[in-house]
Amino acid sequence: MSDVIDEVIPQSLADRGVKPARPPKRRSKGGRVSRRVYVFLALAVVVSVFPLYYMFVIASAGATAVTSIPPRMYPGTQFFDVAAKVFDTVPFFASLMNSVFVSLTIAVVSAIMCAMAGFAFAKLQFPGRNLLFLIVLLTMTVPAQLSVIPQYLIVSGLDWVDTLQAIIVPGLASAFGIFWMRQHMATTVSDELIQSARIDGANSWQMFWAIAFPVVRPAAFVLGLITFTGVWNDFMWPFIVLKSPELFTVQIALKQLQANRTIDVALAMGGSFLATLPLLIVFFFVGRRMVSGIMDGAFKG
Amino acid sequence: MKRSSTAIIATAAALAVALTGCSSSGGGATSADPNAEVSFWSFTGINAKDSVNEYAKKVPGAKVKLTEVGSTTETATALTAALAGGKVPDLVMIQNDDLPKFVENSSNFIDLRTLGGDNIAHDYLGWAAGAATATDGSIIGIPTDVGGLGFAYRADLFEKAGLPTKPDEVAAMWKDWPSFIAMGRKYTAATGKPFVDNIETSVFFSTVNQVSEKYYSPDGKLVYDTNPQVKDAFDVAVKTHDAGISAGIAAWSSGWAPGRANGAFAVTVAPSWMLKGIKTDAPNTAGKWRIASVPGVGGNWGGSVIAIPARAEHPEAAWQYIKTMMSAEGQTDHFTQSGTFPAATSAVASQSVLDYTDPFFGDSKIGKVMATSVQKFPSFYNGPDTTPINGALLNTLVQLEAGGVTSDKAWATALHSAKQAIGG
Amino acid sequence: MSTATATLSRKQRKDPVQKATRIRNPLSERIAPYAYVAPFFIIFLVFGLFPLIFTFYVSLFDWNPIGKQTFVGLRNFEQLFADGRFWNALLNTFGIFLISTIPQLLLALFLAHLLNHARLRWANFFRMALLVPYITSVAATAIVFAQIFDKNFGFINWVLGLFGLPSVNFLASNFGSWILISAMVMWRWFGYNTLLYLAGLQSMPREMFEAASVDGASSWQQFRHLTIPSLRPIIVFSVIMSTIGGLQIFTEPLLVAPESGLTCGAGRQCQTLSLFLYEQGFGLFKFGYGSAIGVVLFVIVVLVSLLNFFLSTRTRKAR
Repeated sequence: MSDVIDEVIPQSLADRGVKPARPPKRRSKGGRVSRRVYVFLALAVVVSVFPLYYMFVIASAGATAVTSIPPRMYPGTQFFDVAAKVFDTVPFFASLMNSVFVSLTIAVVSAIMCAMAGFAFAKLQFPGRNLLFLIVLLTMTVPAQLSVIPQYLIVSGLDWVDTLQAIIVPGLASAFGIFWMRQHMATTVSDELIQSARIDGANSWQMFWAIAFPVVRPAAFVLGLITFTGVWNDFMWPFIVLKSPELFTVQIALKQLQANRTIDVALAMGGSFLATLPLLIVFFFVGRRMVSGIMDGAFKG
Repeated sequence: MKRSSTAIIATAAALAVALTGCSSSGGGATSADPNAEVSFWSFTGINAKDSVNEYAKKVPGAKVKLTEVGSTTETATALTAALAGGKVPDLVMIQNDDLPKFVENSSNFIDLRTLGGDNIAHDYLGWAAGAATATDGSIIGIPTDVGGLGFAYRADLFEKAGLPTKPDEVAAMWKDWPSFIAMGRKYTAATGKPFVDNIETSVFFSTVNQVSEKYYSPDGKLVYDTNPQVKDAFDVAVKTHDAGISAGIAAWSSGWAPGRANGAFAVTVAPSWMLKGIKTDAPNTAGKWRIASVPGVGGNWGGSVIAIPARAEHPEAAWQYIKTMMSAEGQTDHFTQSGTFPAATSAVASQSVLDYTDPFFGDSKIGKVMATSVQKFPSFYNGPDTTPINGALLNTLVQLEAGGVTSDKAWATALHSAKQAIGG
Repeated sequence: MSTATATLSRKQRKDPVQKATRIRNPLSERIAPYAYVAPFFIIFLVFGLFPLIFTFYVSLFDWNPIGKQTFVGLRNFEQLFADGRFWNALLNTFGIFLISTIPQLLLALFLAHLLNHARLRWANFFRMALLVPYITSVAATAIVFAQIFDKNFGFINWVLGLFGLPSVNFLASNFGSWILISAMVMWRWFGYNTLLYLAGLQSMPREMFEAASVDGASSWQQFRHLTIPSLRPIIVFSVIMSTIGGLQIFTEPLLVAPESGLTCGAGRQCQTLSLFLYEQGFGLFKFGYGSAIGVVLFVIVVLVSLLNFFLSTRTRKAR
């Protein structure tokens, strides 16, 4: 507001190269956050959380809550009854275990696979490297599901229909993961370190495990989290290849809960909440790392 | 050279495994042990567990591994997927709507004549057994049940509207569809509320199955677009809509179950397997519902057969299950326990079926109503496209009720989407 | 096969005695990079590239997985382009894409702008809370949104009723069901995109914003002249990702109207291309026809990617 700054700033904004002299932070207006900002953010938080809350309300409030007007807005006491019914109607516990097994396997194996490939693309020289990396980038933009029919033919040719490996093996190849790990390898693993290891006679395998991987382990962990979330929530492919209820992942079990001949809304809502709960718990502990991981990835991309 | 060939060879090997696997799947040794563990795919909601337990009691030492795959459609989808490549069950239930496309490719199933099926096939209602017989005479399934049809109505609401309440009187009053619509007008005028839940499942499913020829001519030609009987059946549904007596609540949509409980409509179609659903959806209406014959009387909705896939591991054991449980006596027992109506001719005519009543439905003569409907059910040829055509006509009626189509355009729209559905 | 042996031999060479030989004979070192990327490419070839090519092949057949396979040339495509259901699905896919993407990205920009305040308290709480939808599965989202938007007992219709508005049967019309599905898509992704944009903003010197506010630039002016231009690359990236995601919308329309099976409404009001592909391929087991839909989807992806590519290079030049 002061006239002096008024003269300086517009130009500096216009050509954006010049940094204005930095005024002392305490006095700067940028430091004060207006109440309106908090109101908007709080609204966004309410919108984010409301559907989950609503699942719990309907699941816990008993049969009449679904058809009450005005809609019921506070939870009841019957959540455990509905939860018991969920476990009774479909093999929900087995589904949870299947989801944990599949998600965890893919998350861990694929994170290591992607770290290896990312290491090769970022730190090793080899003929065809750029072409291969271009292919990786291109595969990111082609949705796999447009070729589900041949994928199904292949899986049935391998006799993998209705097995968990039909989900795990194709799920291991993650173009996004390779891209992600390559960016982290390129920016956080120093070339000097690699060079000196090479001079010391380390082979590339040792360089990867002893030097590169420990440095990018946090990034690999976040990648694993993102992969875990993605696999846990995946629907279409498991829906196509899994046929026996005892092999269902939790999302497919949800579909079955919902499709019961006469729709029991509370049951479906209870199932939805229970299917989300494990991730919510994980998120409670590692959410901050996930947030910063996603922001990190965006910045590097 | 060597480096790049590495990847190519590895890939080719993987692809080879994938491709050769296509042709090598299947086969496998079959076992003739009648007490080998039978894997059995059934639907949810028909209490297959009871049958399996009953079987274990009847045949000591027999083992059945039951899987309730999902809805009838989901089970058919899973079965197709398994037949295309995957582990098939030894026994599988197929709902009648899904049956034609399996019958058309009958080599996927064991011809039950080889196990003695031709000796028992004539024990079942002719049209039910005929639906599971391929053109070459092979029998791919034995009828487990049929969808005996009645209308469920709320006697208490009828009384308030000044309509008769006893099933016989009600059935006499709606002896044909014009009288049904007239009755609905009376009800709606008196109460201000819709009479029937919807026109597609409650009206059209009933009318379109009271024909002598449906979507195909007896020699298997598509006639759905020219057959006047189909158009008439469709028109009854449209007229019901135009009369303003339908609530427009589609079956299994969100308002349906609550509507059964809160009187949003007074009449709903009630194939025997659905009676249980009315009880669970509307427990507070116990004693208020009645079951009467549908207008025009004959009818069937649903029903299934049980089949043995060609690649089944234990066909003998599977056949033992069918022989034991699909007897007239076995089907009668299952009807009284879980509501699926028997397909065996002698069971349909048996006293214990005819006398079946339920206090929830005011002790209406459920067994008698259902038996009459399946006995009067006309038989007609169903082809592989029967279900898609049915779905297209049905969906047009749903749209009509939702306001997406007008009454005068409904038939044209229905034909158009049926044509698309069968890809012609 | 030989990739596996290469890996093995490298493991054995951890023995220090062999170090000298390796430096002289670095064949394994030259193969190693390929071994690192091989797992991805093998799986990609078998489950990605090969199926993609095979889709084109199957699309030329009348392919019944439990019956016959007959070569029909381009007949599936002729039929597809004459099929009203296909155009309907295409329209729905793009309708949902437009309604869900544009407001979502604007909202995300706005929220990112708010979150970028230097002195914001509880910043981590806000960020985490905004990511909650992202960890909720599409299936659960569809189930709860179907209830929130229910025509009889839904929360939204109750709110409309408070304002004296008639209740809306969202699933009855194309446009209504687009709104319903778009709401799910928006809800799941707006927080994620907010974080992407926030990351972009934070990579800019904060002084720029501080200086601007000191200068008296209003929040809106900052947003318009600082936030948007500097985020352009990330915005282009997120538009590409949303487009590709939009073409894959499947679970929402499948689960939001369970009573109508695979069509999402009796009149296919919200059947997307992916769901149409599934209906033909795995509902009716018309593998050839379904693959033809897959081929068309592929062509659309290529066209959209090219369009995005040209747009982004143009904006880069414009700057």
